[in-house]
Amino acid sequence: MYDRKWEPMREDDFDALLKDSLPDLPPEDVVADVTPWKKAMNRVLTGLGLTSITLNFLYLDYILPAIGMVLLLLGFRALRRENRWFGACFGITLLRAVYLFANLILNSTILQERVHAAPRMIVLTGINLALMFVEFFCIWGGFRAVQRKVGLPPHAGGAVALMVWYGILCLLALVGYVGLILGVVMIVVYICIICSLRKLSGELDEAGYAIRPAPVRLEDGTVALAITILLVGGCICGWLFGGSYPMEWTPVDAEEHSGAAEIKSELLELGVPDYVVNDLAAEDLAACDGALRAVVETSDEPVNNDKQKTLHITGVAVELPGEQERWMIIQHFLWEENPGFYGTESIQLWPVYQDSDGWRAGGAVTGRVLYDKNGQTYSAPYWFLGEQTFASDSIFWGQQTSTDVFAAFSMPNSGENHRGYVAYPIEATQDGYLISGWFNYTHQRVGIQYPAVSAMENRMRNSWNDAGAFFTMQYALQFFPSELEKAPVQ
Amino acid sequence: MGEREIVELLLQRDETGMDQLLRHYGPLMKYVIAPILPDPRDREDCLSETALRVWERVGQFDRERGSWGAWLTAVARNTALNHARSNTRHSGMEEVDERLPSPAPTPEEEVLRQERQAAVRAALERLSGEERSLFYRKYYYRQPTSQIAAELGMTERAVEGRLYRLKQQLRKWLGGEDGV
Repeated sequence: MYDRKWEPMREDDFDALLKDSLPDLPPEDVVADVTPWKKAMNRVLTGLGLTSITLNFLYLDYILPAIGMVLLLLGFRALRRENRWFGACFGITLLRAVYLFANLILNSTILQERVHAAPRMIVLTGINLALMFVEFFCIWGGFRAVQRKVGLPPHAGGAVALMVWYGILCLLALVGYVGLILGVVMIVVYICIICSLRKLSGELDEAGYAIRPAPVRLEDGTVALAITILLVGGCICGWLFGGSYPMEWTPVDAEEHSGAAEIKSELLELGVPDYVVNDLAAEDLAACDGALRAVVETSDEPVNNDKQKTLHITGVAVELPGEQERWMIIQHFLWEENPGFYGTESIQLWPVYQDSDGWRAGGAVTGRVLYDKNGQTYSAPYWFLGEQTFASDSIFWGQQTSTDVFAAFSMPNSGENHRGYVAYPIEATQDGYLISGWFNYTHQRVGIQYPAVSAMENRMRNSWNDAGAFFTMQYALQFFPSELEKAPVQ
Repeated sequence: MGEREIVELLLQRDETGMDQLLRHYGPLMKYVIAPILPDPRDREDCLSETALRVWERVGQFDRERGSWGAWLTAVARNTALNHARSNTRHSGMEEVDERLPSPAPTPEEEVLRQERQAAVRAALERLSGEERSLFYRKYYYRQPTSQIAAELGMTERAVEGRLYRLKQQLRKWLGGEDGV
């Protein structure tokens, strides 16, 4: 049947029909929604709440402030031309957003701990904190300007309370307060302040109709999407390019040991495995000249109890000639199967001379890392090799400061026989003491970790062997020299 | 001063109610009037006229039919629309040619119009809250695209695009596949 009321209509007629068909009273949800103020202000208040919350689980301490900062940006972007206060808020939020987002991306790289500890970064953190206080002050001024514009008495105590609250929080952080009671009080006060600001925003609904949001060139959704892409893309780049050390790999010269063939054969005769001798740098090989006797121990340490992924560790002690008893300690590791190298690896040494009355260091710790690819051996010095002093928290001993020898490095995922060694000479100060040298190898077993830390940093802050992205294998070369057969007199 | 106190004062014909009305709800009324009347002088006149109508008709306000904000919005909008129509008549734009037949609808046309209106209202109920707000901004509040775009954090082009798609959707719902 032909329905006359829906005869094809021209655009103008259809528009007129739509206009005439609306009820006299607009629906309540529409009345509540059609305001230039509420959306922007809700974003600002939610943003303030989220940027201040610190929930240390499920990465919420990163996700919530990031969302909060985006909301603050969008909220103040709409209000930026309303008065100079809100304009300043937008500018400050922009600066703070750059700082926050740059930090979030930086956190995906292993540079983050060093950058955060740098003096310039500490200054930047201070500036960011100061900007936050200025922003609260501008919010206070902005609220009052809106109220004055429509002839309402200006008041915005919530914003002042927020400034005071943050001031107290900073003081508590400065004095290192870790108590529970004041913490709970601060949270309760904070919730009250945000509620007060929400109430104020509600009161300003009447005045808010006088606001004229600034036009935008990019939609809110586009801005939020662009920031998300920037953050995710930045973090992916951080993980890909900032998760490992820049190692200086060079092909090993086949003639490297040509001048030390005699030393090499001496060591092999004493029972030092050829894979250890062949990996020694020329100067380390030279340091073993005249070796009297050698002690060799091996161990296969599985990663995650996975027998397929085992680290073959060889501990070698070579007694050196001289009036004083001297030994060269060599601790060699070899990945027989590629375990997957995702970023950084580290070796923490507790050398024989550490905490020993019978032994002292006879020289510096040396070593290098190697791997084979297409029949060619490549080697590189450790990215870091030396002593490192660090503070760590232990549930048994509390906070303590230690100094250990660390070797930090990255391995390429290509190639095979990834290996390396550390070597150091020791001298006896008293007879009869145990030679006990510990070798703690930390392997990174996953690629994505946030915030990114290096194996060495992880080892310094966490003494557990199975900790997050890392797994530590421990091995000790231990023997009493006095219990060994005497070396033949040469 | 809250909404209830202001309504109470107006009902009691207390003139302080009028001051409070303009103080607290003046921005809302101006906000509703502005897109319909582009001339600032017309807006001022219309604001006074709206306040007067509120004073005269506050007795008709029924909280069960809608909120104070919705009622005030409707009064301001209708006053502004009347003001705009009156302006158009005075400028001679709507002078009626006496040789043409009367523009008043026939009874059949009136029935058709009412049926269409009912169908459009039913279709609007099917829209999401966000779409309905956008629709009301355009066809009820008569806000220009630039204003809608700024308040919703969108570009004008995006607003036009969404409104176009919204109208296409309504046409489809109202007239089947071929549209209205």
